Amino acid sequence: MKKISRRLFVEGTGAGIVAVAIPLEGQAQSAPAAPTTASNAPKTTIKLTINGQQRSMEVEDRWTLVEVLRDHLQLTGTKIGCDRGECGACTVLVNGKAVYSCSQLAVWMDGRTVQTIEGLAQGTKLDPLQTAFIEHDAPQCGYCTSGQLMAAKALLNSNPKPTREEVRAGMTGNLCRCSNYNHYVEAVMAAAGTLKSGGAA
Amino acid sequence: MNPLNSVGHREPRVDALLRVTGKAEYTGDVKLPGMLYARLLRSPHPHARIKSIDISKAQALPGVRAILTKDNCDTVWSSGDSLGQRKLFNNPLRFTGEAVAAIAAVNRHVAEEAMSLIQVDYEVLPFVLDVDKAMEEGAPEIHPGGNLSPNNQRRREPQTYTRGNAAKGFTEADRVFESSFTSSHHNNAQLELRTSLAYWEGSKLTVYASTQGIVNCQRDIAKDLKLQEADVRVICHYMGGGFGNKNQSHDFDLFAALLAKEAKAPVKVEFTRKEDFVAVHGRWSSKQQYKIGVKNDGTLTAIQMVAKTGSGAYRKSSCDLSGTEIYQVPNLETSTTPIYTNTAVAANYRAPAYPQGVFGIESAIDDVAYALKIDPLEFRLKNMTRKFRDQTPYTSFGLEDCLRKGADSFGWKQRWKPVAGSGAGPLKRGAGMAMGMFGSALGRSSAVAKVDAKGNYSIHVGVTDCGTAAKTTMGLIAAEELGVPLNKVNVVWGDTDTCPYSVGESGSRTTVQTGDAVIQAVKDLKKKISEQGMPKGTDEVMVMVTTNPAQIQGASRQSFVAHFAEVEVNVETGNVKVTKFTAAHDSGRVVNPLTAESQVQGGSIQGIGMALHEELRYDQRSGQPLNAGYYGARIMTHMDAPQVDVLWVETEDPYGPFGAKTLGEPTIIPTVAAVANAIYNAIGVRMHDLPMTRERVLAALQGVKA
Repeated sequence: MKKISRRLFVEGTGAGIVAVAIPLEGQAQSAPAAPTTASNAPKTTIKLTINGQQRSMEVEDRWTLVEVLRDHLQLTGTKIGCDRGECGACTVLVNGKAVYSCSQLAVWMDGRTVQTIEGLAQGTKLDPLQTAFIEHDAPQCGYCTSGQLMAAKALLNSNPKPTREEVRAGMTGNLCRCSNYNHYVEAVMAAAGTLKSGGAA
Repeated sequence: MNPLNSVGHREPRVDALLRVTGKAEYTGDVKLPGMLYARLLRSPHPHARIKSIDISKAQALPGVRAILTKDNCDTVWSSGDSLGQRKLFNNPLRFTGEAVAAIAAVNRHVAEEAMSLIQVDYEVLPFVLDVDKAMEEGAPEIHPGGNLSPNNQRRREPQTYTRGNAAKGFTEADRVFESSFTSSHHNNAQLELRTSLAYWEGSKLTVYASTQGIVNCQRDIAKDLKLQEADVRVICHYMGGGFGNKNQSHDFDLFAALLAKEAKAPVKVEFTRKEDFVAVHGRWSSKQQYKIGVKNDGTLTAIQMVAKTGSGAYRKSSCDLSGTEIYQVPNLETSTTPIYTNTAVAANYRAPAYPQGVFGIESAIDDVAYALKIDPLEFRLKNMTRKFRDQTPYTSFGLEDCLRKGADSFGWKQRWKPVAGSGAGPLKRGAGMAMGMFGSALGRSSAVAKVDAKGNYSIHVGVTDCGTAAKTTMGLIAAEELGVPLNKVNVVWGDTDTCPYSVGESGSRTTVQTGDAVIQAVKDLKKKISEQGMPKGTDEVMVMVTTNPAQIQGASRQSFVAHFAEVEVNVETGNVKVTKFTAAHDSGRVVNPLTAESQVQGGSIQGIGMALHEELRYDQRSGQPLNAGYYGARIMTHMDAPQVDVLWVETEDPYGPFGAKTLGEPTIIPTVAAVANAIYNAIGVRMHDLPMTRERVLAALQGVKA
């Protein structure tokens, strides 16, 4: 049986659509002959810009972007909620565009610019989105918040004055199980200056 | 209601800045030197006996540090079932996804490789997924003694409640109605993945858990690992939601501790999203039958409910059903029988017994009202509870105002159609409503209050804040009692080494119970300061209190709620869209209207998901879960979520901190029923099964045509 690596899997399918068909791990009975260990995993050196800082680093080819951010760069503000492209908790900006960092391989980031939640504020000066998120109580548990903020940032980059419907559509790839969607939308509209007075738009 | 200085004002969370900058450290973010990563190998079969497990190849893989299986670990996970008998590794395996082996390795990739090297020889056993089939003669026996799940007194019997005599009540009725309803298992599905990190220093264990109750978690871990509670430290500073499934220790806390002991290194256990759906737990399913006796003028004479609930492969929680308590009726009989099946375990999820039970009774009552040509709102105003179990007065009662003011605010008169299904289509609109209540009892909790020489106050409370803003709530209560602004109060939380007992964020009890302890701590602190003066230099004045108020005699303390929904049903596609939603809540005095609004909107939107699409489905032939994950289980998204309008009905209650009552769980209680009743009003066909998917709406509509 041909071994399916993490890289082939991510490249071949992208996301969680096939997840239903993946058997629980216990069904994988045929053992690969030569398991890939930390020491013999293929590696590639990449150059990228993260939160304004240029970096060169060696990454294992199977590492995802979120894995590099969290495990190797200590940028743990980006969260993992599903690790299969369903929830948006890991949303970061790559060249200004919102992507699920669990569904991007680190090697693909060569030559790209990545912005995470840690790079959203300018020093101690919060982004208007962050201020609005505080004032409108957008985070409940807060676990999806970094992803919501980055998705909102990407939305406002391309559409600075969105309507309520445009905010909902622009952020619908970011799940919030606390279901604080009303306050998230209010906060984004407040940051964009399109929230009508009196709370809900 | 007299206004207060801190309590009752819209205050952003005290930790909001950390939550919007990515600096809040969740359990999964903690990394320790030399830390290992653990993965779980799980059963691919819904029911199987392990004949043998061969771990030799996995052990030989470089980087693997510890492997646990049933062969070397017989630790009981006592909060895993109500009998305290469930082990971490069981044989036979009783559901697809039950743990077979736990592996710790130098990184997660090696742990995953090792999983594929473990060879398990299974004897596949017959399985059963449905509660009715599980009770048939000859059904596979999931536990010795049969599939009727025993309660925590080990008795195999239904949970019953009786007042009056239902049979007599039915003979006194002018009309008797019968109907039945079902609801599905669906998942808490909090965004944070399941994780736990443990390390040992000699005989002392520290666990970074993701828990709604650090002290409960500490107690459970100590019990199962046979340690002194003082030797177990549990830390949880930020956690990514729980909705009722994190109030005890979990198997992953124990796996982390045992692997760490075996490997002599810190171990972080991580579950995948699929494991969260199939191997932790969700809300129990139900099959409910109602018989309702009523006079022609709409007076209820009797209600009978007979139900089965699906506990899954183990009985972890009550598996009971609630809902009938919201009616005044002289004769009431309820019986709920929890039954084992070879499916994911069911346990607590936000108001565990309520939204599915309220869906049943409130749908059945709606049918009665229509049949008698009485406005469902008027029917409820006539028959709603006025005393607890028709006997005990309430400490405060806002249900009638929730109904009346909620209806006005929602526009019930304009939106509800006297003739159900009378819209022209293909987009048919309709309105529905439902009501509920939830206990708001007093109880034991503790708090520490301190002040330093500069006049900075600290409140230590054993809460974790699962997203409810509990820390901010405790800070506001302390600030109010101290007479200082919120920013003068530092709240210390989330660590059993620095925080005393709190009830745990379950049962919506933190505001009331820990809030009462905070008030008492502040009172004692003020008294101590008045006696000995403010501290000087580096000294502090400190008090610690444990409040354990006697239960209220002769009165029942409850929160009340009424929800109103308008839907638009596309009769060609079956799609249901909620177009207006109003939630009226009596939770006594609202401590923080900003974060309380988040609770109501969030609970309501979760309930709409439960009503319309969420369920964990199984392939009937293989016993495999089909849709374990966010996409498949169809949890609510931005695009699905309507605006939820929140209306506070603030009753004055003589108990609780400044009269505050329970809020978190009531927010989901009547939502599902309100949506179901709105669908009926729109299409004129009653939906009997949750979730009310497009397929089911279309089938119901075609049933009428046929």
